[in-house]
Amino acid sequence: MILARIIAVHSYKGGTGKTLLSLNLAATFVKRGKKVCLMDLDFRAPSLSTILKIDKAECWLNDYLNGTCEIDKVLIDLSDRFHDKDKFFVGLANPTTEAIRNMSAKDRKWEMRALGRLLALRNSLLEAKGFDYLVLDTSPGLQYSSINAIVTADLVIVATTCDRSDVDGTKRMLRELYDLFEKKTEVVLNKVLHDFSSKSGRDEVQSRIKDVYQVPLLGIIPCFCDISKAEGNAIFTQERPDHSFAKILDELANKIDNSLV
Amino acid sequence: MYTRKTPWGIRVARQEVLGKKPLSILEKIRENLERLNEKMEVMIELQKHGKKDIQMLPAEAPLDVMTLLSMPDHLRKTAMTVCRLGRATAEEVAQQTKRARAVESAYLNQLVIMGHVKKERKGRKAYFYVDRDTQG
Repeated sequence: MILARIIAVHSYKGGTGKTLLSLNLAATFVKRGKKVCLMDLDFRAPSLSTILKIDKAECWLNDYLNGTCEIDKVLIDLSDRFHDKDKFFVGLANPTTEAIRNMSAKDRKWEMRALGRLLALRNSLLEAKGFDYLVLDTSPGLQYSSINAIVTADLVIVATTCDRSDVDGTKRMLRELYDLFEKKTEVVLNKVLHDFSSKSGRDEVQSRIKDVYQVPLLGIIPCFCDISKAEGNAIFTQERPDHSFAKILDELANKIDNSLV
Repeated sequence: MYTRKTPWGIRVARQEVLGKKPLSILEKIRENLERLNEKMEVMIELQKHGKKDIQMLPAEAPLDVMTLLSMPDHLRKTAMTVCRLGRATAEEVAQQTKRARAVESAYLNQLVIMGHVKKERKGRKAYFYVDRDTQG
């Protein structure tokens, strides 16, 4: 029995809440006493550096995948934001236009080596440095970097919405991508507008999701105006620990903690 | 006298005269038989799945995720296991995939022929790995 320790957060479409989910899930794990590393593998539209207000890094994840530095140089210790020590680290994607352009032009051989370096993180971070979880935030759709992350992961969380094109695309992706890699996959339905006040309302959405996607449902997150109002300025679950969103994330983290692959 | 007769009348070389030579000859024969066996396994698999599954590629073909996606299911499972293990024998791959060692040996040798995986012999063991350093 192996715990799901490398978690990739992916989606078919953009704007489904991958980064919000990745960041807040990582933060929730830290609050539960876990040592976590969050990595921004969305090289086409990096956003963690902006949300976490980090302008410069000694090395970026781009450099690690290029083979020009080791992972130690990439990781930034942000444990002090949780008034803790040695608990929360991030690896950031270089947000400059030049870096984004460079990453878009990589060939198959480079991508093969990048996969090797991502796979090596299991030894270098989980085994050697004692991290409990590695959370990989990815680009939407079938990008090389995202599929590399999926192959590396023990668990893939698919963030999806009720949007019809997202539902159709996610269904296809589950069948034609995740199934082929035999990955443990769970769905998080985000930005839900249905009535959640009653148990019957929740049950109806849950059974519909299971019917449509044929994979387990990890959780349902309602559309919270408070999150939109926060404008991606902070780690929401840390700023508002009593908010319903923080409680839902804690339930998700609890399920993952207890899930075995 | 370099030979002796067995109780059944067969004339064999006397080991005490030839030293360890017969042993090394037997070792060589076994090694060759093992290699022959591997080739047979590949041929059997080729017949079973049809040649369409195995496109002869240049000596080095990158094993990237898109290549993994385009592979037939039985080969993808083996290739992904080698990717994950880094370097492994057919026995080690078989332990992960829960398939027979002989089956994995055949699939691994197919991947070698296709140029996705490299093979290296160390003594009697054959190791398979994805060569990420020299490709490119």
